[in-house]
Amino acid sequence: MKKFLNISLVVLIAMSSVSLVSCKNETEEIFDEDAVARLEKAKAEYADILVDKGGKWQMEYFSNDEEPGYIYVMTFKKDGSVTISGENKWLGTLGSMAYGSATSLWEVIADNGPVLSFNSFNKYFHVFADPEDIPSTDDEADNEQGYGHRGDYEFNLMKYSNDTLYISGKKHGIDMIMTRIDPNYDDKVYMDEVVAMADSFFNAKIPQVYINLPNDVRYVVKNGASSILSMYKEGEDEISTSFTHNIIITHDGLSFMTPITLDGYVIQNFIRQADGSLLCRDDQQTTITADDLSVVFGYQSLLWRLNNGQFGGLYAEYLSQLAEELKAYNKSTFVFAQINYDLNKESYVLTFNVKKGANTFKPTFTLNEIPVDENHIEFDITGADNTGTVYAQRCPAMQALVDAIGSTTFMLTTPSLLAPVNMTLTDSGNAANFINVTL
Amino acid sequence: MKKIQYYISALLLVAVAAMSLSSCSEDKLGPSIFPDVDETLDPSSYTYKLDKFLKENYLEKYNLTFLYRMPDISTNMNYNLVPATYENSIDLAVLCKHLWFDVYDKVAGDDFLKKYGPRIILLVGSPAYDPTAGTETVGLAEGGIKISLFKVNAMQINNFYMMNEYYFKTMHHEFAHILHQTKSYPTEFNTISVGHYDSNNWQYRGDEVHSMGFVTTYASSEFREDFAETIANYIVQTDKDWNRILELAARGWATSAEEDDLEARYFCYYYYPKNDATQDLVYCEERYVVTEVDEDGVKHMYYRNDKDPDGNRIVVYDVEDKDGIDGAEAILKKVQIARDWLKNEWGVDLDALRQEVQERQATYNIVELRKQVTEIQ
Repeated sequence: MKKFLNISLVVLIAMSSVSLVSCKNETEEIFDEDAVARLEKAKAEYADILVDKGGKWQMEYFSNDEEPGYIYVMTFKKDGSVTISGENKWLGTLGSMAYGSATSLWEVIADNGPVLSFNSFNKYFHVFADPEDIPSTDDEADNEQGYGHRGDYEFNLMKYSNDTLYISGKKHGIDMIMTRIDPNYDDKVYMDEVVAMADSFFNAKIPQVYINLPNDVRYVVKNGASSILSMYKEGEDEISTSFTHNIIITHDGLSFMTPITLDGYVIQNFIRQADGSLLCRDDQQTTITADDLSVVFGYQSLLWRLNNGQFGGLYAEYLSQLAEELKAYNKSTFVFAQINYDLNKESYVLTFNVKKGANTFKPTFTLNEIPVDENHIEFDITGADNTGTVYAQRCPAMQALVDAIGSTTFMLTTPSLLAPVNMTLTDSGNAANFINVTL
Repeated sequence: MKKIQYYISALLLVAVAAMSLSSCSEDKLGPSIFPDVDETLDPSSYTYKLDKFLKENYLEKYNLTFLYRMPDISTNMNYNLVPATYENSIDLAVLCKHLWFDVYDKVAGDDFLKKYGPRIILLVGSPAYDPTAGTETVGLAEGGIKISLFKVNAMQINNFYMMNEYYFKTMHHEFAHILHQTKSYPTEFNTISVGHYDSNNWQYRGDEVHSMGFVTTYASSEFREDFAETIANYIVQTDKDWNRILELAARGWATSAEEDDLEARYFCYYYYPKNDATQDLVYCEERYVVTEVDEDGVKHMYYRNDKDPDGNRIVVYDVEDKDGIDGAEAILKKVQIARDWLKNEWGVDLDALRQEVQERQATYNIVELRKQVTEIQ
């Protein structure tokens, strides 16, 4: 009995203390409003943000980490409709670039937070979320098995700042951004400018460009034209150390899908500079450039065409004379010239394409390319083949033109340092003398 | 004295325990933190006409929410799905009314769907593929209240067979599920084809399932799907197509593949390439069979595409029905159970339902039906 009393006493004390504390209300009000009110308020705020100032946005859309990102132009209206425009290879039927624009529905709905939902099908946007019938693929392809591109069409609205919406795909979790743009911008014009931007960065004919880090380390970048960049540190083994990362070409530059760290530097977004190179917006130091123009011009894989009508000054005069002399010689005409590396001759060559009736003659001159500095080049004419010798004798203007090229220091310029598929060779001593060349 | 102390202690213990347990009971529920939903439609909304149609014809009439703007959270997140197009949503909204709700109102009475109809219809633009199983879901009935219709974006409004297979049949199939989820059907149904269901590999089966007593391959997956498929197919299949099912069900089927070959194809005709029964036989499809009746009324069948080495027409034979199942009888028996169950449990005449659906299916004019939405002011 005594034992029972002792146990009772202990239990009584314990339960009393529990009784005394069990209802102590220590909840602090962190928010002025309850969760639902805050969520409703956030929904309304984001809906207003989307339609504000004309409601036109650029979305940098990624479906997964194995494909490029694609730009969409979206115009949100208060009536719940959204017009979505895009231009990419998935919008056509044959895998070629195609522009498309369609109107569908949008809504800011509640989930764990406000969610932007494109909740009626838009053929130009939902193509990346659709599990079937992906254009440009056949029924046997892997992506016809119910996965599609695994893209999102609902996005958690994370933050709004400086006309930029930070969003995250609700199902697949990829972070993306939307940037407000001028409502007067025509969607097609905007998309064409994005495509032109892409063309100015990467061209399949230019085999590689470089990420130049602030510590003077360079990463070699290949396959830029595919927007799936293959990279490795310069000097290291390409096969064993290269890695890939997908990018999106935007209206003003390019961005990696997620930040990447190279030699301790974190980079993601790049802005196109006036010279066509790219400057990292995040650190304002890292750049993306191609080889010096004098080096690019000498790539042995390239064939530069010197088209009729693209000569200026003294060179144009020589070409005009050449036309007369060819006509007088054998009624032939100049079509174009080209400079390339000839593997058989193990030398660079300057070749004239001269047409007489159905026949084409190719007077050829061998030359050495001599880079003077990063954007200056000289040519040393070393000889001519038989056809070249004959034509040079019969048409003095051809010899004069070759001699002029061989005695000039040319300054190389291009509209796009990253994709210099067009260059101008200008006489350093007289800017009136120039030749435009193209790949 | 000790006894008194014992009782006092026990009393105190009970009292404190009671206080402990009841001390928080005075908390009261406050007003809901969720705002009242404003159901007033905004005439300036892009979707006003459809929303008004849905409100008047589904929500107010049947307490049914017709969800055409697909929130991803409303679906199985294992699937990769996309929403329906707005235009196809309009078409399906008016077709659901015309071929489903109006039919039941007419045949079963105005209150039937109010009491037993689904509370949510969800439209989904894409099919629901299960990449691992290789299956495709065209409809879902969940918890007796929600029906999901998939593949809405692939609708070909003028393709009757496609519309029937993916939408009209699915409506009745899923509604049949809702009905049997509410009132069980006789277990006798489950015994008719017992032993012939295959929930894992039904998708590999073909028309031979008819001879096993199933109206479709999906019906052969399990008895609940068999029940829903039997009702749905009986309602929507034309006389010609229904009779074709029964005809195939009465035939013999065979394959040259191994019996455990999941992808084995079954045929109900065979021939000998050299018109010589000592040769290996070849199974063939009906489209390669030419049927002729001679002057004595005897039917002859020949292989369409070739002759034997002697230049003679190759004789084609029916595969003998040796599976021991009278497929047609099994199907008709299932229909009868469903017919009785609908009549006795629900007061619904299955044949009247079928007749009404058949008439409407054959005569509907989508342009006219759309006007119910497009002409809303």
